[in-house]
Amino acid sequence: MAWQRPSCVVQAMQLLRLQPLRSSASPLSPTHTQFLLRSQKANSRGYATGTSSDSSVQVVPEATPAAPAIDFDQFPYRPARIVPASPSYFSGSPKFIDHLLRLENLLAENERLPKTSPMHVPRKAWLKLAQFRDFVGEPVPTKKYKSLIKILQRINRIRPEIIPDYANNIINEYVRPGNPYGVKPAPPTLDEMGRARGRGKRKTSSAVVYLVEGEGEVLVNGKTLSEAFPREHDRESVVWPLSCTERLDKYNVWATVKGGGTTGQAESITLALARALLVHEPGLKQALRKAGTVTVDARRVERKKPGHVKARKKPAWVKR
Amino acid sequence: MASAFCRSCLSRLPRASLLPPPTVPRTTTTATAAAATAGFHTSAAHYANPTKKSNSLDSGPKYRQAKSAKMKRKKPVERTRPPPIGERKALRNRIVLGNPNALEPTDMQNISVENMGDPRVRGSVVGLPVSMLEQLRSVHAFKKSQGWGLFRRPATFMRKEALEMGRLFEKISGEEQGKVVKKVITGKVGSGKSVFLTQAMAMGFLKNWVVFTVPETQELVNAHTGYAPLDDANPGLYVQNQATSQLLQRTFKANEKVLSGLKVSQEHPALKSLVKPGMTLAQLTGLGIKDQAVAWPIFQALWAELTSTSAPRPPVLVTVDGLSHWMQNSKYRTADFKPIHAHDLVFVRHFLSLLKPGVNGNSTLPNGGLLLYATSGSNSPRIYSFDVALKQLEATTSGINPKSPEFPQVDAYQSPDPRVIEAFTAPQPTSAKEGKLELQPLSGLTPEDTVGYMEFWAKSGLIRQYMNFRWVSQLWTKSSGGIIGELHRLAGRLRVPQRT
Repeated sequence: MAWQRPSCVVQAMQLLRLQPLRSSASPLSPTHTQFLLRSQKANSRGYATGTSSDSSVQVVPEATPAAPAIDFDQFPYRPARIVPASPSYFSGSPKFIDHLLRLENLLAENERLPKTSPMHVPRKAWLKLAQFRDFVGEPVPTKKYKSLIKILQRINRIRPEIIPDYANNIINEYVRPGNPYGVKPAPPTLDEMGRARGRGKRKTSSAVVYLVEGEGEVLVNGKTLSEAFPREHDRESVVWPLSCTERLDKYNVWATVKGGGTTGQAESITLALARALLVHEPGLKQALRKAGTVTVDARRVERKKPGHVKARKKPAWVKR
Repeated sequence: MASAFCRSCLSRLPRASLLPPPTVPRTTTTATAAAATAGFHTSAAHYANPTKKSNSLDSGPKYRQAKSAKMKRKKPVERTRPPPIGERKALRNRIVLGNPNALEPTDMQNISVENMGDPRVRGSVVGLPVSMLEQLRSVHAFKKSQGWGLFRRPATFMRKEALEMGRLFEKISGEEQGKVVKKVITGKVGSGKSVFLTQAMAMGFLKNWVVFTVPETQELVNAHTGYAPLDDANPGLYVQNQATSQLLQRTFKANEKVLSGLKVSQEHPALKSLVKPGMTLAQLTGLGIKDQAVAWPIFQALWAELTSTSAPRPPVLVTVDGLSHWMQNSKYRTADFKPIHAHDLVFVRHFLSLLKPGVNGNSTLPNGGLLLYATSGSNSPRIYSFDVALKQLEATTSGINPKSPEFPQVDAYQSPDPRVIEAFTAPQPTSAKEGKLELQPLSGLTPEDTVGYMEFWAKSGLIRQYMNFRWVSQLWTKSSGGIIGELHRLAGRLRVPQRT
């Protein structure tokens, strides 16, 4: 079986070559050698493919003197049969299963450690599917990838001050290089003119709001509030972040908004205004969240489908 | 006793004697009967669906029936007699000036000669004297959309501009006699331009001025009143006798007291047979109301009398509301079916010519007066030339030299109307007492003024919540900076008391 397929050799040699470059390429510890003699693994489980070709080694004529001790460092013989190091070698995706087993074992060892609340879990950018496939070197299906990520997330929930270093090192192997979540953007600040800038979107309109301290004047695209929004409800929603926090007479609003209709424009200004207000007063976040101006409404118009009249509507059934 | 055996139908015969015994066990008597009548059926007859009557055409033509679709005859609807002509319009234009359910603020002053320029009344609401309401009504000072019917009695808010105007009235009637001030009033929708004119009329009546008003410019150009060529000497000019007569009527009703104290002092050759020496101006005006055919010459005569310096005459207030309708072609047509420009109507031409300075060192109003021409925010056609003319007027009012590069220029590609541009480019007046045409923009109330205005609402019992500065400042912002019409809309709607 061994040496039969050159691809096996290539893979094995690649593993050997890659090991010093990136230890994470192999789940196995570097102390293991890749190929072991069956005699060395006498206590290990035998394989069905194992033949008795090496039994001649044991049948030694008694007359001959004892063989010298085997120097494993300078092993003279070509191994008669190669035993794969990974027990999952004969499975469909051995490398992935090695990774999975390693993480499952890791989780089993540390399962009893206390967890943090979901809010305080350190955010980690796991390898994406394509990156993970490259990392493993096997075509991993999405579902299996997701199950592995779940295990990683579960391990990551162990309290950061308690989690053993080796476990941390292992799960960090699966983090995207450069950890995008590790670098947080600097919190927005007021510019030199004392303006806070906020952007907001709703439906198909997007708004930019500049908020300065003032007396409560509002300009939308250079127009006054009543000119820009004839409907009173829209005017209410534009100034809602200020009026619900009782700051209406303390700031001036200068907004530009484009795209969409009147409602979308008004509500995109609401979001932008709330974000700009948070730059001035970050402590208002909870109040604004309760007022419903922090959460982004990400809904957009659903696309029309072929064969449908609208997104969902179907033409009436006609006989023939 | 009759026998159970029926001879004709054999129905009462014992079953066993006629038929072989039934193979299917029967449960009900009807099933028994049905099976008995049709022994070859596998299911009972009453389980079958009833046969449908076919209504389709393929059943063949119907010869003995009506083939066409029957039309149901509608019953004639009982119609009531429509209201008489003019009644609907009267109902539509009816203006309610009071609300008996509202409270009257106890500390509300009336506007008077003493307080019309008093800075202490700034930021408060002053009532219009009840005795003056009839005069104001007759000059159409009130409009339907201004919400007069919400309060106990008509009252107006004294803002900064109104007080300045009050002082102007005092000056023209007092120390600066003969002064003429000409203003074009602009502002956003609901900024109080028309009520500003109403305040001016009230002040004019208080000061015993002669008040001429054109409450609706549109009515003169939308071809709803009769028109005719003026005369052979002036081809291309048109006179509107009915509209002129109505103007005279308004002027007569509102200014009867003043006009009846003034006598004709000039010769009027055009009205030789009508005008008699010693006639009062009220009588002169009455001639034009009686006979529409001479309305225009009478108006000219009246105007000549009021602007004459040979006898003591009061100052004149002229207000025009909604100027932009006069800045384009009217809906009237010439005999060749060409549109008539609004400036070719003598009525319009007269009032627009007042914006120009008088010739030969004379003032347009030698006895002094005030011209207030307001634009309209809602009912105004968009006219490029008029927009540019107003921009140029704004620039000249703020002291920009017309030759400087900042002065707004006319874009020739927008096909501007030279007559409109020309109407507002007034050269420096030759008379010392005559002011140059100015632009007065009206904006929103200041936050302090808004408090005063909303206090009036609260005192009238129209707000069912505690008034505090926070609420007023919210209102001020939502009304886009104290636009008074928006304040009115918002305050009229926000009635639900806030939970605190």
